[in-house]
Amino acid sequence: MSTAATGISMAAGARAFLRSPLFAALALALVWELAVQAFRISPRYLPALSAVLRDAWSIWPQLLASFNRTLLETLLGFAAGAAFGCLCGITFSYVRLMERAVFPLFVVSQTVPVVAFGALIVIWFGNSLLAKVVTAFFLTFFPVTVNTLHGLASCDPQRIALMRSFGAKGPTMFFKLALPSALPQILVGLRLGIGLSLVGSIVGEWFGETLGLGVMLIEAMNSDQIVRIWVVIVACGLMGALLYSALTLIERKIIWWRAEA
Amino acid sequence: MNFKRINFKRFLPVAISLLVLIGLWQGAIAAFEIPPFVLPSLPAILKHAVSEFKPLSASLGATLLEAASGYVLGALCGLLLAMAMVLVTPLERGLMPLCVAINSVPIVAYTPLCLIWFGMGPASKIVLIALAVGFTILVNALHGLKLPEEAAVNLMRSFGASPVGIMRRLRLPAAMPSVVSGLRVAVPRSMIVAIVGEMLGAYKGLGRVIYESTQQVNLLNVWAAVLFASLASMLLYGLLVWVDRKLVWWR
Amino acid sequence: MSESLAESVKAAPMPLVNEAAPAAPATASPATQPLLELVNVWKRFGEAPRQTVAVSSVNLKIEPGEFVTLVGPSGCGKSTLFNMIAGLLAPDSDGSVLFGGAAQRDGQLLGKVSFMPQRDLLFPWRTVLDNAILALEVEGVPRRQARERAEAMLPEFGLGGFGKHYPHQLSGGMRQRVALMRTFLFERDLLLLDEPFGALDALTRTRMQQWLLDLWTKHRRTVLFITHDIDEAIYLGDRVLVMTARPGTVKSEQRIALERPRDPAIVTSPGFVAIKRHLLDEIEEESRKSFLQEERQA
Repeated sequence: MSTAATGISMAAGARAFLRSPLFAALALALVWELAVQAFRISPRYLPALSAVLRDAWSIWPQLLASFNRTLLETLLGFAAGAAFGCLCGITFSYVRLMERAVFPLFVVSQTVPVVAFGALIVIWFGNSLLAKVVTAFFLTFFPVTVNTLHGLASCDPQRIALMRSFGAKGPTMFFKLALPSALPQILVGLRLGIGLSLVGSIVGEWFGETLGLGVMLIEAMNSDQIVRIWVVIVACGLMGALLYSALTLIERKIIWWRAEA
Repeated sequence: MNFKRINFKRFLPVAISLLVLIGLWQGAIAAFEIPPFVLPSLPAILKHAVSEFKPLSASLGATLLEAASGYVLGALCGLLLAMAMVLVTPLERGLMPLCVAINSVPIVAYTPLCLIWFGMGPASKIVLIALAVGFTILVNALHGLKLPEEAAVNLMRSFGASPVGIMRRLRLPAAMPSVVSGLRVAVPRSMIVAIVGEMLGAYKGLGRVIYESTQQVNLLNVWAAVLFASLASMLLYGLLVWVDRKLVWWR
Repeated sequence: MSESLAESVKAAPMPLVNEAAPAAPATASPATQPLLELVNVWKRFGEAPRQTVAVSSVNLKIEPGEFVTLVGPSGCGKSTLFNMIAGLLAPDSDGSVLFGGAAQRDGQLLGKVSFMPQRDLLFPWRTVLDNAILALEVEGVPRRQARERAEAMLPEFGLGGFGKHYPHQLSGGMRQRVALMRTFLFERDLLLLDEPFGALDALTRTRMQQWLLDLWTKHRRTVLFITHDIDEAIYLGDRVLVMTARPGTVKSEQRIALERPRDPAIVTSPGFVAIKRHLLDEIEEESRKSFLQEERQA
């Protein structure tokens, strides 16, 4: 009986591994390498994964430094954008006048291509970390605001009535009901925001910076180094995956209850 | 008479804050004596926009064409792929990791590749936009197509409906709200991706104009181009709200 | 499957045996041919040792034109049974479902039976009329024709003038009626109704029961009706089948000899009450078992 039990648990463990993202990533890497070799894809289009990794290793210190720099810009821009976005969302949700007055301006601000702003931001804030953070912030705050607003608005009116029957007032109502029930939606906004923050950092770096993944991208493009471009693409992808997983982990800690159907 | 009054009251707060913004803008220029190459005055921008209307509209036209082509291409591909993934489950399991990987990379990072592969013409921008829009629609469509609960699918099966029939009569209509929501988000995104792409390499378009004007420190032109881009985006968005109401008529 | 299939086919009073051919025996008269027959139907989920038996050893026969009600405690497998009859689930290989005398393979029943699940499941993007013709559309009936047929039926279902409304504009009772209309428009010999009136308030429910009986009398289809309400089961049915707690099987069968058409006042008549008392005893025992099962699971 015990051998059968270990057999079953091993099979279950194997099945869990097959479903995990780690396996998917490994499988993808394998497919990449094999496909390039098998179909003799020109390195101008898709270099072999091994070639990409080799190039990455050759410039490892610079790559790591650039990665960290872009990561820093992204995280700072995200933190600022998320905080501002949440605050605005909450304010708009409780002060209708502010929503009607300012929210449309927020919407319009998003139609302005941040790239245009990129040049101007460098003029205003100089070629510094702040400029990139501002660019990232610009892209982040809007989705966070929208989703915070949406999340707070979708609070079940019957639950609100229940709390009021208990004699709950403003702050209590907010912290015990409105905020928890809005959290899932807020996290959707945060997930959107962090992706956009990364975009903002990269684009911001195009306008003048010596260090960063965006810088590496432009330099590689200008010198027609396809393999280097792929190195940066993979690095960006890894950062994106890292940021999303971090957020998912936080989500799982904070919102452990299942949303109601 | 009455109708006009109600509308006015609703837009009053925005109008006021807009005026405040304009006031701050002009006020700051005057108070801090900001030179025009840092922040031009609003009347100057508007005047420039009017005088440069023809070339700017031509550039806008080029950008819009790219954005629209990429948008339609991306939306169609995204929707078709989502339907295929729902009808053929192994396809979803196989392609999903690839899609997630490709999507973790910000679209802008693919710009140099597209430029090298497809050249500086509109094709590279269209491909980029299609990629960006396609993924948005794919994610939204997959979510929407899988919304109907098992009981509803079983009901259709009990009528003798085939999987394609179920897709046509149940899943697609049920997915409309999600898909339209994705279509809305994709509109400003396609404009922005178009401009970003053009900034890195193009012959025509607002992005190119912005890039050149920045190089030539012709800030007025930059702001005028931004104004054009912004207005166009808003119009497109308004268009899509109208389409939304047509496609999701039952709400 | 082959052994029991062969046996059940031999047992059926049918000269022609052809799995591929659909129902309708040529020589047997409708009176002797049950429309639906379940032979030793089981449904088990999962594998040993954590296997649940939802339905065990169900044998029943439904004659054409009958109105049969099925009662049982919650979780006794009634819905699983219905899913098997509608063709959505296949019974375990040791049993079979015979429709019109022919044993049905997996999925063969789909589209042969008119099934109304517990929730109305109306499509929010379709009008009342279009919801009603959903099954007809799937069948292939041209839209205009289907709409005409449904339009004609609207008054009978109390939905006159509501054809162009959307589900969210209707009350719960009206939505159930649309679902019923959809079920009736799908012209099949057997109607499966899974607790269609469960979510309605008592007053609406009584009216709907009347409706259903009038419709049944007029259109003369065969109805298999699940309910957890004993009054409803006795009031509506020619026969009441009592199901046990899980694993569900048919515990007993009670013929309802009350005369038709049934007057609503009949529920307080001595005949009715006697039947009810008998059934209550049967069900009480099963309800208690089911309750304990749920407690153990929690």
